[in-house]
Amino acid sequence: MRFFDLLAMSANNLRRRKLRTALTVLGVIIGTASIVVMISLGIGLKEMTIEQYASYGSLTRIEVYSNNRLGGDGSEDGFLVDSTMDSLRAIPHVEAVSPVLTTYVQMKQGAYTSSTQLMGITREAMKDIELGQGTLPDPNSGTMELVIGNMVSRDFYNEKTGRGFWDTGEMPDVDLYKQPFFVLFQNTGNANQKQKKYVFPVSGMVKGGVDDYNEYSYGIYTDIELLKAQLKRVYKKDPIPGQPTNKKGKPYNYFIYDSAYVYVDNMDHVVDVQTSITDMGYQAYSSMQWLEQAQEQTNMIQAILGGIGGVSLFVAAIGIANTMMMSIYERTKEIGVLKVLGCSLGNIRNMFLLEAGFIGLMGGAAGLGLSYGVSYLVNQFLGAALMGGQGGDISRIPPWLSVAAVVFAIVIGMLAGLFPAIRAMKLSPLAAIRNE
Amino acid sequence: MEEDKKREAVIRVRDLYKIYRMGETKVHALDGVDLEIYRGEFCAITGPSGSGKSTLLNMLAGLEHPSKGEIVIAGKHIEKLNEKQLVTFRRERVGFIFQSYNLIGTMNAVENVALPLSFRGMKKSERLKRASQYLKMVGLEKQMRHMPNQMSGGQQQRVGIARALAVNPQIIFADEPTGNLDSKTTMEVLKLMQKIVRERNQTLVMVTHDNNLATYADRIFKIIDGKIVHIEENHREVDLLALEQAQETISTEGEGEKRV
Repeated sequence: MRFFDLLAMSANNLRRRKLRTALTVLGVIIGTASIVVMISLGIGLKEMTIEQYASYGSLTRIEVYSNNRLGGDGSEDGFLVDSTMDSLRAIPHVEAVSPVLTTYVQMKQGAYTSSTQLMGITREAMKDIELGQGTLPDPNSGTMELVIGNMVSRDFYNEKTGRGFWDTGEMPDVDLYKQPFFVLFQNTGNANQKQKKYVFPVSGMVKGGVDDYNEYSYGIYTDIELLKAQLKRVYKKDPIPGQPTNKKGKPYNYFIYDSAYVYVDNMDHVVDVQTSITDMGYQAYSSMQWLEQAQEQTNMIQAILGGIGGVSLFVAAIGIANTMMMSIYERTKEIGVLKVLGCSLGNIRNMFLLEAGFIGLMGGAAGLGLSYGVSYLVNQFLGAALMGGQGGDISRIPPWLSVAAVVFAIVIGMLAGLFPAIRAMKLSPLAAIRNE
Repeated sequence: MEEDKKREAVIRVRDLYKIYRMGETKVHALDGVDLEIYRGEFCAITGPSGSGKSTLLNMLAGLEHPSKGEIVIAGKHIEKLNEKQLVTFRRERVGFIFQSYNLIGTMNAVENVALPLSFRGMKKSERLKRASQYLKMVGLEKQMRHMPNQMSGGQQQRVGIARALAVNPQIIFADEPTGNLDSKTTMEVLKLMQKIVRERNQTLVMVTHDNNLATYADRIFKIIDGKIVHIEENHREVDLLALEQAQETISTEGEGEKRV
């Protein structure tokens, strides 16, 4: 029998029992919709958790600190120096390593002033910063160009009144991007030394308004090599504030970094790399380690949600099997006639499998449509409430889920129809002859 | 007997038994049946209810397995075929006319006639064309698109006849084809069947409990208690003694074949 003829016969059989078909399909619709919506909530929850952590900092970045940072034993071994960077780079899955050199500077513009961290990082690490205005510093430029955090300007205060945004609620009248400002490096403690004022060009601003926090919001970033050169010019032979000194109080003849950023090629490797770094004797922090714990939770929630949805699809599958059985009992005679007329056993089985598959297809497709509707409503009215006002959709149906849902519904339908179909195939053709 | 030898036997049955077990007792539905049916013959199998005539027909059509014996149809032993092979056998060689017509309720007349052709994988346009030819032959050119429930019993049975003929089978089996029809329609349907069989040189085996209907056939096999007790040819009595002799000749001929 041709496949199309088989298909037409199956469709015909479904059409002649419209109500029963519709009810069975309804069961599949509800089953599919519940499983899709449940899974979409799980996915939404999971992705929102990732997004939340990603907003605190890049998920593939590990921050490395020296153990000496909080007054350790002061031995040279624990310092983060250039050779440390090389050994960090040697860890598998590490894409890039950037040392971080931090110094505190005072900035002045008009009547306002503020103290901020000036951080030197590599050019490569700067590419990670999302800019709202301007560009990253010109890589060929010899002058120290700055990238300024989007929340830096809020911390300026009026020098005369000593009041800033946190006291008055008014934004200080500074524009760090368009207007020049003075930068003063930290005093060495030598009162006689006169502090020099510098003006550096600003090449870009970190993305976001003064309320949009991200990991780069509070800092000022520049090229680390240029910063080193600048610090040497400023302090000459004097010890640079923030840099450790040896037991005699003399500075080392190389730079010791406050921390380092380690970039990992993939989120999945972050925890492994982090463990390696810790084993090397450094302190390492990443958003991933927290995310991983959170993900364990969301995975469990997702499994529970999927399970709830699965139960209703299972009930729908029983409904399909039941409908098919009923239909076979009703059509015992007709099936017998088909067999007497020479319809092959395989064709009869496939006819019923197709019928069941059809129910699955219709239910799956309509159920998917319903899922999109429910998902929209959930996002519209429940999402914000559930996630405590955090933005983003709580229910997300990715394309793979749509396709999988329909395929799954068809497969479930056919599985449910398999037993009845085999039963139909085995019915005796003699039933056709009997005259009740 | 010479006349028989000249003709080609389409169906040859040897020593056929069908035994049903009903708890402790055994029921011999067929108790050693031997018969031959020739190409182009219109045969009737008659007998009272419970005589085994339907069982015989079912076995000839490959719907039931015999307990013992041989059935050779167009040179093919069908008693050894499995379910799957039997379906193929029916599809390729057999047409079937039912007592209660057994048309598919969701299909109109043409589609019903074309249905067995679809099992052979024939294209839709082709099989519908062929189906309508056969419907014309049974005189239903005006009812082509009618659904079964829009037709009278006689019309439905004509569709059934067309359906059996459309596959161009070697043998047509009819199980009480007029059992559900009134006497006038019965005569019409029987005459139609007779006419078609004659014109097309088809072999038709009809089961009926009504001796009057059997008189339309070329040969009548009378079965009682699972045995053929009487063969009537062209309304002429056949001497049972002569029949026995004929059977002996057949057994000597069939020596080489396996006997159960």
